[in-house]
Amino acid sequence: MAVRSVARTTPYLEKVAVEARYNDVDPVYAETRDIRLFGFVLFLLADCVLFGAFVFAYLYLRTAAPTWPPVVDGKQLPRLDVAFGAMNSIVLFGSGVTMHFALESWKHLKKLAFNFWLVATILLGIGFLAGQAHEYMSAQMTWQGSTFGASFFTLTGLHGFHVFAGVCFLTVLGIQANRGVYTGSKYFGLVAGTLYWHFVDVIWVLLFFLFYLW
Amino acid sequence: MDVAAHPIEQHEAHDHIHPAPEGFIAKYVFSIDHKVIAIQYFVTGLLFMLIAGSFAELMRIQLWNPKGTFMEYHTFNQMFTMHGTVMVWLVLIPLVTGSLGNLVMPLQIGARDVAFPWLNMLSFWLIPVSGLILFSTFFVGAPSSGWTEYPPISLEQGPGGPLWCLAIIVVGISSTLTGLNFMVTIFKMRAPGMTWTRMPLFTWATFATALINMFATVALSAALLALFFAQVYNVPFFDPARGGSVILYQHMFWFYSHPAVYIFILPAFGVISEVLPTFARKTIFGYKMIAFSSLAIAILGFAVWAHHMFPGGIAPWLQIPFMIITYLIGIPTGIKIFSWMATIWGGRIQFTTPMLYAMAFIGTFSFGGITGVYLACVPVDLHEHGSYFVVAHFHYVVAGGAVTAFFAGFYYWFPKATGRLLSEKMGKVGFWLFMAGLTGTFLPMHWLGLEGMPRRYASYETFAKAFPDAVFWNRFESVSSFLMVAAIALVAVNIIYSIRSGRRAGNNPWGARTLEWMISSPAPYYNFKKIPIVLDRPYDFTQPLPYRNLDEVTDPYPVPSEAVLPRNAAGMGV
Amino acid sequence: MTAELLERLIACIGSLLVGGTASWQLRNELPLHGLDAQVTKLLLGLMIVGCVLALLASLNVLGAFA
Repeated sequence: MAVRSVARTTPYLEKVAVEARYNDVDPVYAETRDIRLFGFVLFLLADCVLFGAFVFAYLYLRTAAPTWPPVVDGKQLPRLDVAFGAMNSIVLFGSGVTMHFALESWKHLKKLAFNFWLVATILLGIGFLAGQAHEYMSAQMTWQGSTFGASFFTLTGLHGFHVFAGVCFLTVLGIQANRGVYTGSKYFGLVAGTLYWHFVDVIWVLLFFLFYLW
Repeated sequence: MDVAAHPIEQHEAHDHIHPAPEGFIAKYVFSIDHKVIAIQYFVTGLLFMLIAGSFAELMRIQLWNPKGTFMEYHTFNQMFTMHGTVMVWLVLIPLVTGSLGNLVMPLQIGARDVAFPWLNMLSFWLIPVSGLILFSTFFVGAPSSGWTEYPPISLEQGPGGPLWCLAIIVVGISSTLTGLNFMVTIFKMRAPGMTWTRMPLFTWATFATALINMFATVALSAALLALFFAQVYNVPFFDPARGGSVILYQHMFWFYSHPAVYIFILPAFGVISEVLPTFARKTIFGYKMIAFSSLAIAILGFAVWAHHMFPGGIAPWLQIPFMIITYLIGIPTGIKIFSWMATIWGGRIQFTTPMLYAMAFIGTFSFGGITGVYLACVPVDLHEHGSYFVVAHFHYVVAGGAVTAFFAGFYYWFPKATGRLLSEKMGKVGFWLFMAGLTGTFLPMHWLGLEGMPRRYASYETFAKAFPDAVFWNRFESVSSFLMVAAIALVAVNIIYSIRSGRRAGNNPWGARTLEWMISSPAPYYNFKKIPIVLDRPYDFTQPLPYRNLDEVTDPYPVPSEAVLPRNAAGMGV
Repeated sequence: MTAELLERLIACIGSLLVGGTASWQLRNELPLHGLDAQVTKLLLGLMIVGCVLALLASLNVLGAFA
């Protein structure tokens, strides 16, 4: 009777522990992992709001502008290079796929494959940043000159900062993984890194559409 | 609140007790214990309140004469800017979320700490850092464009502007992390058996606040980052000459700053929901309605921001929906007010200090809320925006609402935090001083505002020529404001008296019926030796609490079957 | 072979490869439960949308101004 009443009213975390014991996983670890995962997903949602605020600013400024791209010093600014942007986007999306493979390799305890895919992800991420650097240097607009430059450099700069932080994060994860911090069953850090990397990827989908294709 | 003290054999994470912290630094400076962090938030919050309050007093001295010569006009601008900034971000939010939320919420849900204790400590320490950055602006020219810092005027104020942006971004990070921490704690770490509808109402309020805290504060960081770039790097977000818009800043700023006022007031509502049942010896009326109205206010609060922008130049088709939704927000708020009145109706009321503050809250907050409804109406707002009517409104809801409720919570939970009782005499004298000061300072402002006295003006000479009574009322307000200072000073004296020679409080000095009162005062660092199983709702005054002290239960105690357990006999199960 | 043509070629072939691989991985993930699996599915799906956008951009279907 009492057990039934407890089982009927236990909050989610209890079910996590019960399920973990049933699956022969350490229930203490299962609970802390569940808490950390939820916290990390909430953090990603908050990060979405950060980008959302700047996207709102961009939409506001763009819809209020008489022409787009705007006119600076009598000349209309040229549009961004769509071909280059598409290529750079594929570099980043590719890094998302390689990161997924890295995590899958770790789950199947293939350490060498994990290292290979992780390094590939990091290199592709750095490649994306290099592409952004090229884009910044060859841009015809300036940060100060117009709202086009203001919104483009601020938003993509914020995103690039997130990519850079992600590259650092993944590097640290790689070092930790090779030092034996993670095991075949306890690798929450790698899951967090993968989710963060996918998140950065998806934000770029939005930015690519807003700045290059619209 | 029905609990079973001897839980089923569990070896879950939240049953594990960490070793006690050792050393002064680990115990009192860089503590990860939520109760210590709460006290740290309280001390810094009170300190910043004294500083911001003294800025206000300096302003009131300047306003003694219509053309006061007490300070330069530019200094006056800095005073109202810093008063608002410090009060909003370094006093109110740390006190209601950081102090009360941290102290009470984990205890109420039967958790050993919050979900991420180290992040909690970081959240606290960002507050003094932010304060340092903010006050350093006095050395380079403090910001002087109001706590709202609208461009273009905020782009023309020297290094104080960007430093202000940085300081508030730092405090915003603190706030966001706290919100995230509380959300995860409430979702994941409630005691077994504590379903959502068995949570105490302060926890519901903290949950709704954490929701806002986490999502809205990030938008503020974005707005201030954009302002920072505009001030330092001349980026044209807000410069119309290069395609920018000043209205854009207002949208971005108020999208956070309106939900921010719900961050102040929702925990305050939660405190009232805790204090009234205890001192009326009656269960709360309309538990579910109060709980869900907190969520409704949190969600609706995201949809009303432009009511701060009516005269700024937004289109009429945009003003109307914001006006309507602002009116709608009065409904969940009204539900709470009526539920509270029904709670104390027919109860056996004990007029302790927390109860005095709580009952006064209902009056002063409703008053402030009603003037808010006036301002929600676009034609009225076009007349009253920027006048003392607005100042009166928000001081009634903030000082008369959030601060009053904060004091109610402070007097209520101080025995739990420290194990000592505060002096009731001093508490009551302080209460009446505070109420007299509040009324004397802010009630005349309504009339002055309606007659046209503008806010943020260092001199009201022109207004005084048209309305000579203004001089008397301004002086009346200035004198009354010192009553509030006296009240807060008395709180400090009360604390010192209590720590030195206050009576020791037992586990449950008020005879309350929530989980935190079933452990010792102050609670041990691990809160609960054995996490209890919650079997019924809180606020059941028809039964005594099942245990005086949960942690002293030693004999194995079979969990009684539901047929034997008394249900919530008061039957207020709305 | 101009720079632009090379970029479009890489984008086109790359988007098909990356998008295809991501779709295959998404299909493998679909039956899994758990918060991390659900978030991964959502983000992979959105990334595939991104690959489609990049494909259309490389073929000058989208982003063809001027």
